[in-house]
Amino acid sequence: MTGDGGAPRIELAGARVRLLPERALLLEAHATLLVADVHLGKAATLRHHGVPIPGGGTADDLRRLDIALARTGARRLVVLGDLFHARVGRDALRTRDALAAWRAAHPGLHVTLVRGNHDRASGDPPASLGVEVVDAPLALAPFLLAHHPAPVPGGYVLAGHLHPVARLAGPARQRLRLPCFHLGRDVGVLPAFGGLTGGAVVRPAPGERIFVVADGEVLPVHAPAPNLPGRRG
Amino acid sequence: MTRRRGGPPGGSALADELARLRRAQARTRSGARAAATAPGDAPPAIGRDGTPEEAIARWFATRGWAPFPFQQEVWAAYARGESGLVHAATGTGKTYAAWIGPLLEWMAAHPDGARRRRRRTDAAPLRVLWITPLRALAADTAEALRAPVAALGLPWTVETRTGDTPASLRQRQRARLPTALVTTPESLSLLLSHRDAARRFDDLACVVVDEWHELMASKRGVQVELCLARLRRLRPGLRTWGLSATLGNLDEALATLQGFDAGGAPRPGHLVRGLVSKALGVDALIPETIERFPWAGHLNTRMLPAVVAAIEEGRTSLVFTNTRSQCELWFRALLDARPDWAGVLALHHGSLDPRARDAVEEGLRRGTLRCVVCTSSLDLGVDFTPVDRVLQVGSPKGVARLVQRAGRSGHQPGAASRVTCVPTHALELVEVAAARDALAAGAIEARPPVERPLDLLAQHAVTLALGGGVTRDVLAAEARATRAFRDLTDAELDWVLDFVVRGGPALHAYPEYRRVTDTDGVLTVSDRMVALRHRLSIGTIMGDTALTVRYLSGGRLGTVEEGFIARLRPGDRFIFAGTPLEFVRVRDLTAWVRRAPGPSGAVPRWQGARMPLSTELSAALRARLEQARQGRFDGPEMEAVRPVLALQAARSRIPAPDELLVERVATREGHHLFVFPFEGRLVHEGLAALLAYRLGQHAPLTFTFACNDYGLELLSPGRAPLEEALAAGLLSPRHLLHDILASLNAAELARRQFREVARVAGLVFQGLPGRERSLKQVQASAELIYDVLTRYDPENLLLRQARREVLERQLEQARLGRTLERLERGRVTIVDLDRPSPLGFPILVDRTREQVSSEKLADRVRRMTVALEREEAR
Repeated sequence: MTGDGGAPRIELAGARVRLLPERALLLEAHATLLVADVHLGKAATLRHHGVPIPGGGTADDLRRLDIALARTGARRLVVLGDLFHARVGRDALRTRDALAAWRAAHPGLHVTLVRGNHDRASGDPPASLGVEVVDAPLALAPFLLAHHPAPVPGGYVLAGHLHPVARLAGPARQRLRLPCFHLGRDVGVLPAFGGLTGGAVVRPAPGERIFVVADGEVLPVHAPAPNLPGRRG
Repeated sequence: MTRRRGGPPGGSALADELARLRRAQARTRSGARAAATAPGDAPPAIGRDGTPEEAIARWFATRGWAPFPFQQEVWAAYARGESGLVHAATGTGKTYAAWIGPLLEWMAAHPDGARRRRRRTDAAPLRVLWITPLRALAADTAEALRAPVAALGLPWTVETRTGDTPASLRQRQRARLPTALVTTPESLSLLLSHRDAARRFDDLACVVVDEWHELMASKRGVQVELCLARLRRLRPGLRTWGLSATLGNLDEALATLQGFDAGGAPRPGHLVRGLVSKALGVDALIPETIERFPWAGHLNTRMLPAVVAAIEEGRTSLVFTNTRSQCELWFRALLDARPDWAGVLALHHGSLDPRARDAVEEGLRRGTLRCVVCTSSLDLGVDFTPVDRVLQVGSPKGVARLVQRAGRSGHQPGAASRVTCVPTHALELVEVAAARDALAAGAIEARPPVERPLDLLAQHAVTLALGGGVTRDVLAAEARATRAFRDLTDAELDWVLDFVVRGGPALHAYPEYRRVTDTDGVLTVSDRMVALRHRLSIGTIMGDTALTVRYLSGGRLGTVEEGFIARLRPGDRFIFAGTPLEFVRVRDLTAWVRRAPGPSGAVPRWQGARMPLSTELSAALRARLEQARQGRFDGPEMEAVRPVLALQAARSRIPAPDELLVERVATREGHHLFVFPFEGRLVHEGLAALLAYRLGQHAPLTFTFACNDYGLELLSPGRAPLEEALAAGLLSPRHLLHDILASLNAAELARRQFREVARVAGLVFQGLPGRERSLKQVQASAELIYDVLTRYDPENLLLRQARREVLERQLEQARLGRTLERLERGRVTIVDLDRPSPLGFPILVDRTREQVSSEKLADRVRRMTVALEREEAR
């Protein structure tokens, strides 16, 4: 894993993609960066409902997005759903200002949102942000981009929604729980991009690939060999 | 029946007295149950002729008893306007000690008050609040209170108000509270959150806190302290009486209940000693062949045949277990062993549906059950007279607990109460012998009250803001009138106020935050959603996110933790409420199931804190091991466990009192260090994190660790630099606080503790079935919030509180420091073994593990694989 800065290049559905520790995926042929489940304004939504949680998360998320864009030189950004957490969060002043400033700093970037479940509830982003909004699937051959990770004939689906997290086991009974890319036969799921998001543990089937995000690196992990002797039940 | 005086207690006379009292109480209760169904219709059995004292004496006489002196002492103190605490064994008349005083007083003030009441609203207004820790106890308590009221024809209503109270009754109570209200701390808080709270307590004369020993050492106890402070402000002459089992710190229990007056002086209180049961026998079922008895694990049922035999000896048995999983397991095992007991064998634990629990309790009272397998859910409350045999599966953990459980059996006249311990592994035999020693020495544990939980003060501030508003001065005065907050600083108070109004310093820039409104110094709540969320969260001091378990066909079985259900796939089998179930799906915070054929499946685990061996029992245990080291094995338990201890001595050693034993073993899993300070689980947890952290400073290493009450184990893939670290001060008390804080973070202990703090302070809350649709978008896990706060608001006092709680309560910091001093002075013996010793083995197989690492995360990931599903279960 040298020379790739902890962001491995892999082959997926016959195409070259790059998995980034910023929790994003680059489609090299399209110079397009994918992120899923950004959930902007989640902290603001919580505050609105009386949960005293400080801000700073939105700025951090946008900064991380800048790093991924700069690292890859992507010309297009596609958000695989759930850009905003909720309507109150979308409309919170600070979220809007931060997002407007970020957009102004990236005038040439083509930004597309593939609608997800939260987007339907919170409404489309304001027109001033210059975000193209489409329904799934968005075709970027050989990939079909969507929010819900359900297989669709005619392409390899890249999606989000699940916020996948891998549970790892190591020697001396070590355990870790890390956000991951979960790449199956017909569908690949990206980790949630937003910092204030939980996760659901994935159970990879044989042949599926798991890449975890750990300390600024994306690392492949393997499923253990089946029926390894000596494992306690 | 002849009348006898209740005291002075002693020997078998006491046992006779208790037995008689219990039988009489049981009769009273069944009479009251009938009366409750037809209020006001039956003519009063006793009537109000003569003085109130004479009327009460006549009522006692109809039961076949005379008042105990300690009861009369309480009545007299109450009449003088005094408050206090009564401590006595379970089922010895504490209830009437506290209850009769208010009745006498009211009768004296209303000499013509015997007129029949026609409607509920004719009854006298709220005079007595009766606080009980478990809502399951409320109904029984109310029945016991109703008995003299009905017999004397007093125009009093006695009702309960808990989470189980039907909406119709709540509605009537909104209009008018009964004369006596039996309620829980949470429901009392909810009452105080009503806008018109103040005027509802205009006639309140007395608050009785039942089972105070159970509440006082928890945040719920602090909740009671705060509620009492508010009630005393509303009703300055209010009397408060606590009822408690015997404790090691009764003076502290009394002082905590009474709090402080406006000048900061402790409010006076009367400590009344009731009947204390003396004769208590502790024995054990001894395994026939200790050589083949397990060294570890609490989930085996090896002793099943002996337990079946013991149950057959008695008429009705209670089998106490230490965890809900153990309870489910033993219920299934007993049913498999004796299928003919179906219908007369039942189980009872806190996660079962209240209706199922009620049915079991009713069966116990009527004597229709042969045996109930239960947890601490049956530790408290009224007696079940038919019970004549009590068994304790696994370690008793504490002397007070053992006494409490033994006291659940109704006594045959002249017989001492008795509890039979059922070991689940060999070393528990030593604990049984130690428990008997500690009991003989009268070493009853103390329960330390909770200090300054700011999360709870924040919750209470919102409660008062809802309940008609509160100012800073009032909140400060009430808080400082409690023991928990007597030393509350202005800075802490202002932080709490700022936290509930503006969300704390880190949120000042966010106008969208709203919870409590500050209008000219008066805090109120106007937002309906905030009010709803707060009221829902008041009841969640205890417990984790729980899912209701429900049949597809509709019936409710109880609750299990989300974490257990999350690991199930549709079609998976599990056993719950003693029934084999098939998991179907989760929806609306409900796990839908159907009955499964065949009795196979996993038993759910509940996260409930594992109870550590008490200090008193640890000391008795060390004494027993020291005897064993010198070759003395007294009593059947020590005799039975002798071969195991002999093997320990031969393979390794039994450490001397001034010796720290470290065993080093390499297995296929890695390199194990077993360390045996015998200081109890909580201290070992802190010590393990500390040792792992300090060892990790010598080389990049990742440790997982586990603890039990005897010692701790550190496990690492490579060999730990033990000798080097010892020479560099591994056991030194120097830089202790710094190293503990660092290891605390490394082991994520504070992050774990924050879950409770976040729940109480209203940072997270669990929805209710059917409600969560509107609330789902406001949910974020406590772990996420902990991370956000650590990053953007590191000075947040709730974070500090979580750390303080781990330090003070979980790690018992002072004890940890003393332990290190003891260990540093003593000698360290390192023994290299080729396989684990009998002392080490129980820790080795413990599945609950924490981690401390000084390695880079990515380096660790490179050696790991995706966890198998079974390994996820921790």
